Amino acid sequence: MLRMSIAIWLTASMIASPAFAEIARIKQSSGTAFVERNAKQLKPAPGLQLLAGDRLVTGKDGRMSLTFVDNTRFAVGPNSRIAVSEFQYDKTRQKGSFVTQVDRGSLAVSSGKIAKSDRDAMKVRTPNTLLGVRGTKFIVEVPE
Amino acid sequence: MRKVRLATACLLLGGCATSSLVLLPDDEGHQGAVAVLETNGQPTEAVINQGNSRTKLGEANAASKPLGDKGLKPEEAALLTILPPPAKSFILYFDEGTTTPTAESQSVLTALRAEIASRSGPQVEVTGHTDTVGSGDDNDRLSQQRAEEVLNWLAGQGIDRSLMLASGRGERDLKEPSIDNFSSATNRRVEVIVR
Repeated sequence: MLRMSIAIWLTASMIASPAFAEIARIKQSSGTAFVERNAKQLKPAPGLQLLAGDRLVTGKDGRMSLTFVDNTRFAVGPNSRIAVSEFQYDKTRQKGSFVTQVDRGSLAVSSGKIAKSDRDAMKVRTPNTLLGVRGTKFIVEVPE
Repeated sequence: MRKVRLATACLLLGGCATSSLVLLPDDEGHQGAVAVLETNGQPTEAVINQGNSRTKLGEANAASKPLGDKGLKPEEAALLTILPPPAKSFILYFDEGTTTPTAESQSVLTALRAEIASRSGPQVEVTGHTDTVGSGDDNDRLSQQRAEEVLNWLAGQGIDRSLMLASGRGERDLKEPSIDNFSSATNRRVEVIVR
């Protein structure tokens, strides 16, 4: 009985855990580009599903683009190192929280439903600033 | 003092390239804003809200400059061209109590299929809804069946099932608010988001 309730609890927590849920999908990539997950490098083929914590890394000729499940869109430019450090989204309530860290490179963003849901629910961190996104399109550049 | 030291460090390093932000109107022409919540670890309250402007980040009083005649740098313009297309929504309506799309919705199905096929790495979210006729449980089931009907039709048209997800919301998200047991053609629908 105890074992069964543990099994149920495990199943329930796996469903609820955002760590296993798709947060975005790669649309396109070119040049040297990869997604870093747990020290593994994944090829950003169109349709690759991203998870919270993934890093987007490009070389000097690399680019990639992706769309998140809250409709946020990213374009990553060359020489970039960008982490989606936090992403939580409740599809039904259309609320969540979203933190992106731009260590270097360039990132174009067209914000989606999370940015609209609550003030500063979407944040972008650069090496020297923390930005709160209030529904718009922008480019962040962090030179090396 | 701290600023002076930072400036000296930048000179020694051969010019600190500072981070910057270019703020643009969104695709519908609305102008949003970006708040600078922290600079060098200190809380700040600056809000960048001037459209088509460039702001150097990392200074306590961030001043935005209009992009002006020079506009975007070529690499910035190139970056914007690879932003994926915005998500697109479709709504299909259903005959009462059935999983049969109305005659008018047949053309929406065709447009939906074409939109998915035109995208690279698409993701398709199919959500079924009902009106308030019948029990809540029956409507949960019917809404799920409506969503699956659309998903199956798309799969039959060659769209990979792994790209799509169907779910049912029963009578929880009425498009047209209504009393219970009210027949509404507006509420009997499947909403599809293509990303």
